[in-house]
Amino acid sequence: MRRFFLVVFIAAMLWCGAIWFGRSVLATTGIDAAGQCIGDANRDGAVTVDEVYGAINNALDDCSLMPITLQFSGNVGEQTFTCGSIYHGVGTTGADIVPSDFRFYVHNVRLIRDDGVEVSVLLDQDGIWQYQNVALLDFEDKTQPCNNCTKQMNATVRGKIAPGTYNGVRFTLGVPFRLNHADQSVAPPPLNLTGLFWSWQDGYKFIRIDTAFDNLRVHVGSTGCYYVRPNVIGGCAHPNRGEIYLPAFNPANDTIVADLAVLLSDSDINSNQPDTPPGCMADPNDSDCDPIMRNLGVDFANGLPAAGPQKFFRVVSPTPVP
Amino acid sequence: MRNSGNPPRSPFFKRGGRAAVLGVCLVATMATSLARADTPYVFNPPKGFPIPKVPDDNPITLEKIALGRFLFYDTRLSGNQTQSCSSCHQQDKGFTDGLPNAVGSTGQMHPRGAMSLTNVAYATVLGWANPLLTSLEKQTLVPMFGETPVELGLAGMEEELLNRMHNDARYERLFAEAFPNDSDAISLGNLVKAIASFDRTLISGNTPYDRYTQGLDDYAISDSAFNGGRLFFSERLECFHCHGGFAFTASVTSQGNPFDETSFTNNGLYNIDGKGGYPLNNTGLFAFTQVPSDMGAFKAPTLRNWKFTAPYMHDGSIADIEGVIDHYAAGGRTISTGPFAGDGSKNPFKSNFIRGFTLTDEERQDFLNFLLSLNDDELVHNPRHSNPFNAWRCPGDCGYDGEVTIDEILSAVGISDGAANLALCVAADRSGDGDVTIDELLAAVNSALNGCASPAAVAP
Ligand code: HEC
Ligand code: HEC
Repeated sequence: MRRFFLVVFIAAMLWCGAIWFGRSVLATTGIDAAGQCIGDANRDGAVTVDEVYGAINNALDDCSLMPITLQFSGNVGEQTFTCGSIYHGVGTTGADIVPSDFRFYVHNVRLIRDDGVEVSVLLDQDGIWQYQNVALLDFEDKTQPCNNCTKQMNATVRGKIAPGTYNGVRFTLGVPFRLNHADQSVAPPPLNLTGLFWSWQDGYKFIRIDTAFDNLRVHVGSTGCYYVRPNVIGGCAHPNRGEIYLPAFNPANDTIVADLAVLLSDSDINSNQPDTPPGCMADPNDSDCDPIMRNLGVDFANGLPAAGPQKFFRVVSPTPVP
Repeated sequence: MRNSGNPPRSPFFKRGGRAAVLGVCLVATMATSLARADTPYVFNPPKGFPIPKVPDDNPITLEKIALGRFLFYDTRLSGNQTQSCSSCHQQDKGFTDGLPNAVGSTGQMHPRGAMSLTNVAYATVLGWANPLLTSLEKQTLVPMFGETPVELGLAGMEEELLNRMHNDARYERLFAEAFPNDSDAISLGNLVKAIASFDRTLISGNTPYDRYTQGLDDYAISDSAFNGGRLFFSERLECFHCHGGFAFTASVTSQGNPFDETSFTNNGLYNIDGKGGYPLNNTGLFAFTQVPSDMGAFKAPTLRNWKFTAPYMHDGSIADIEGVIDHYAAGGRTISTGPFAGDGSKNPFKSNFIRGFTLTDEERQDFLNFLLSLNDDELVHNPRHSNPFNAWRCPGDCGYDGEVTIDEILSAVGISDGAANLALCVAADRSGDGDVTIDELLAAVNSALNGCASPAAVAP
């Protein structure tokens, strides 16, 4: 029943926006008793996504949503990642690596209720790590050799969700299409970090892994984007957003581990296809990307979610105390 | 800026002395004590040129241009403070760097060469082959934050960059003037807007060719150059298809023009595998679209001011204009040995406007003379595009014409009492502290009386 009201509410607001712009002649449905556009919190005559978001948050608060925190961890194998540490036995040749950046964006985070229904997590709009439905996970603290990074770190996704029992999680790796192609020079946090700008592709690096010394890098974002109208990107030949599904996940206790060793497990760290950037910059002609993209849940051939499972993320449950 | 010894002097100052300055101060204070606002910039393009389009969210003002000019020349805009935009876009080289491949602040080599900024205000698309960079604002982010390759090397350093600006009183003032509605004007968005505004002023159209075609000077070009022009615009040489129009490049637009034309073409530089292949790190439009026929397709750059911008092509692989003519005469380039060997004239994706031609010696000379008539010495010497950090050389010379007039002194006075924007005369602020002091006013007066080369013109 609550869902039903929510849907009606959102529809009413969108409708209101349409009327305001003269696209609909259907009268007054979107106007409140005071004659104002419903959902137009700042009274500028348009209902923005921010306003819809705020309204939904309020609507759901009233429905006594419960706060929820999803715990992430950045790992290299079984070890937690820290800047400057050396990790052994990575990739097909068992190489040593010293990672110097470890960040990625996720969006559209959903938990799977015990009845199988996917329920969205409404992210807290904290002005730092989370904006609309996108969050940045950041495991580096700018100590050597993580030079191009930020001191602050973030290993959680925080928000609200309808009460229920949840036992799985889904999310999309990357920045959602609309935000990916907005004006970066005035973007709000966490979309204002220039280390994650990918301006020549008119977007963001969805994931950024760097290593010191051997200069291996994994920078993946959408490629082959194109305009349909001046300044309006219509789509991207290779969206490169992995769909992550972790079926057994208890949000109360479990941790979502992102594992660099697994990401690079099918790559030869010490070799690079000639005339291509070191590692994988999502260039469709760079064969070094093939195994990496697969492990991120992306089909390298078309940039769409892969048929096979992703490997980068896994769930770790606390070991039960005997 | 001309440091000539004997500029014409204002009679006012011949009689004048300090009393006059005081009087001027008074008048100026009264005249300028109105509220300050930013000053719209009015394009005054050369005859035959349209007005450039400007994005709605970045109207162009004198204040933004003045700020953008400092930023363009400021090495604090690179991570290690060794490079600025102007390192790769040098005015005396037509805003290129003379290298086949640009070299970034950390020494990394760019796969492509720095491009001329001549008339970029009109470009529909920026860069050798990037279909996504459709505004100068967007383009500015690439050299700043790009990492493959590193150019200015600022990725991850946005906070430090803005701190550097905050630590400079002149920037505090110039940003505030350029963006008077912003409570904290020093921001990345504003920095980018200012640089793009400066870029838009780099307009060049006073060549012998222009003077001739605009009817300003019937003798601006020789008969030989005239005949060469006929070749250029002929179906025999075909140059005009891709390097046509007032900008001598196809990818241009302007105010009132409903079309944002862009074109990328393959001119037969390579054919590595016999199937049209280009070097892997320079595949042109293909790198973005992955469409096989886009292999080797690049933007045809402007031919204006080519004299200053050698070597040529995206990778600087043709050293001089003679080589360029040979290239087109052969209908493409044949490389006989090495990793890039192949017959470019047989590149399957080559434009069919590039078919090859034979020129008699006389025709070739005519053609060269025509091409020479496309060069404009004004752009490379225009003091308004020059390094503003050198403005102290002629204190008070707001207009950079090598002499200081009474109007310029008035501006300086207006700035010193806060009634006018510093952006209108950055040369009045010799010390670069964002203020014009009495000493600086006197230095300006001194330049007016004794010329720019007076002893006052020493480095502060
Ligand atoms: C390391 C050298 C280097 C630096 C520093 C540099 N550029 Fe460039 N610039 C280039 C190269 C190389 C290209 C061609 C890029 C490409 O197509 O890949 C270019 C292209 C451009 C273009 C496109 C011109 C056209 O006709 O399409 C503009 C505009 C430009 N640069 C402006 C700037 C500005 C503004 C800055 C400072 C913020 C800057 N550049 C800093 C090397 C540099
Ligand atoms: C089919 C379109 C086309 C035609 C016709 C054409 N060009 Fe070009 N031109 C280009 C393209 C594209 C480039 C850049 C190619 C590259 O860098 O790979 C270019 C580059 C150049 C350059 C180098 C400019 C620079 O700044 O590096 C010169 C000079 C030039 N062309 C002159 C000519 C002349 C002269 C003719 C006629 C004989 C001509 N072009 C005909 C498309 C064309």
